[in-house]
Amino acid sequence: MAVSLLARLAAAAPAPVFAVAGIDGLRAVERLALDPRVELVASPRHAAILLVAGEIRPEDRADLYRLHDQMPHPRATVWWASEPLFAGIPVGPHGFPAGDLADLHRALAARAMDSDPDILPDEPPNPWRGKGDYGQGGEGMMGGTPYGRPMAMTADDLRDGLALDAYSATFGPFLPAFPPGLVLDLTLQGDVIQSAEVLRPPYLQHELRGPAAYLRRAARLVRLLGLPAVAERLRRRPEGCGALARTGVFAAIPAGLGRLGGYDVRDRLRAWCEERTPPPLPEEARLAPLLPGLEWHAAVLVINSFTDAELRSLCGAREVAA
Amino acid sequence: MDDLLAILAAGGAALAVSLPLLLMGRRAFPTTAPQQGPFLGGGVPQTHAWQRYHARWYAMTLVFIAFEMEMMFMYPWAVVFVAEGMKAMVEMGMFLAILSLGILYGWREGVFRWQ
Repeated sequence: MAVSLLARLAAAAPAPVFAVAGIDGLRAVERLALDPRVELVASPRHAAILLVAGEIRPEDRADLYRLHDQMPHPRATVWWASEPLFAGIPVGPHGFPAGDLADLHRALAARAMDSDPDILPDEPPNPWRGKGDYGQGGEGMMGGTPYGRPMAMTADDLRDGLALDAYSATFGPFLPAFPPGLVLDLTLQGDVIQSAEVLRPPYLQHELRGPAAYLRRAARLVRLLGLPAVAERLRRRPEGCGALARTGVFAAIPAGLGRLGGYDVRDRLRAWCEERTPPPLPEEARLAPLLPGLEWHAAVLVINSFTDAELRSLCGAREVAA
Repeated sequence: MDDLLAILAAGGAALAVSLPLLLMGRRAFPTTAPQQGPFLGGGVPQTHAWQRYHARWYAMTLVFIAFEMEMMFMYPWAVVFVAEGMKAMVEMGMFLAILSLGILYGWREGVFRWQ
């Protein structure tokens, strides 16, 4: 009884969807985010449905499989304008899947359909090597490679020189804080980026021209500042720069952050609000040298203060004439 | 005794409800290896999760404890000081000497430097 009541309550809620945007998929996902039947969640752990919008690069497939397997059961996949790589419900490029997603969520909650099975094998990426006092594979508290991954070792922090453990990981390609497709190899100490390397550039997104495109970019940046209500207002009711300045958005961005070609993040956001194009970036400018020394939130703002075309040129991706 | 029984009964009821749900969920959908990994947008960590980080506020905590504890013991001390006399004076001197070591250490660590 209690369980069926919980299932009914869950089914009545908006469908929790983790959206993966592929090539030309970001605009569709952002349109979907405004629909009340769907709730776009920040990680696959909160999601019941994986939505893949747009084509995915072959080198990102393994990452997509991992995301799929990270979702809790019951779960399902929807392919929107995308070639299905595994089981799921296809939706054409001209369809709008909000209703399908809501139906799917209700069916999942009612156990009317089977949950997606795992794609990857259920075995640890590296087997356990129980060496050392704590199985860490080395001596004492440091060193060694338990589970095939080396233990973090100390290195001097860029901020104040304290020797702290450095953590290296691959971030992306489907991290909601990054433009879709961008894969960075980052070494962090706490939240300070010590070194950065671009592994894969973001996906090509053909933006429409005109005021709506500027506002969409500005809204993306404002949402990442932690002001989703302001971002949504910006998208629904273009208010211009004055109204945005009164919310304190510009004061929340550190001055001089990510300065490139004479414009910092604040200037680029201001230009987008005033529907101007910031001056073109220097030809030889690259993303990786901008990031070391920045804290995580500042780095995310810098990355998202460029248009997709600019970011692709910063990542060294060659443009193919479309 | 009645209170203890009530607490035990409430605890037992909570366990009786939550444990079967937890175990049933574990059995129906065990956590797989990909689910045990962190969410990095598809990427994987190259470093083991076991690492040390710096609690940068520790020096501020030290100074807080040094000054706040000082005041906490000074109030009761002030009440008995007149009755106890010299003995209480010496005890407080020892106490302050020990605390001041912590303050000196914080000073060396730069906790009083405004940045």
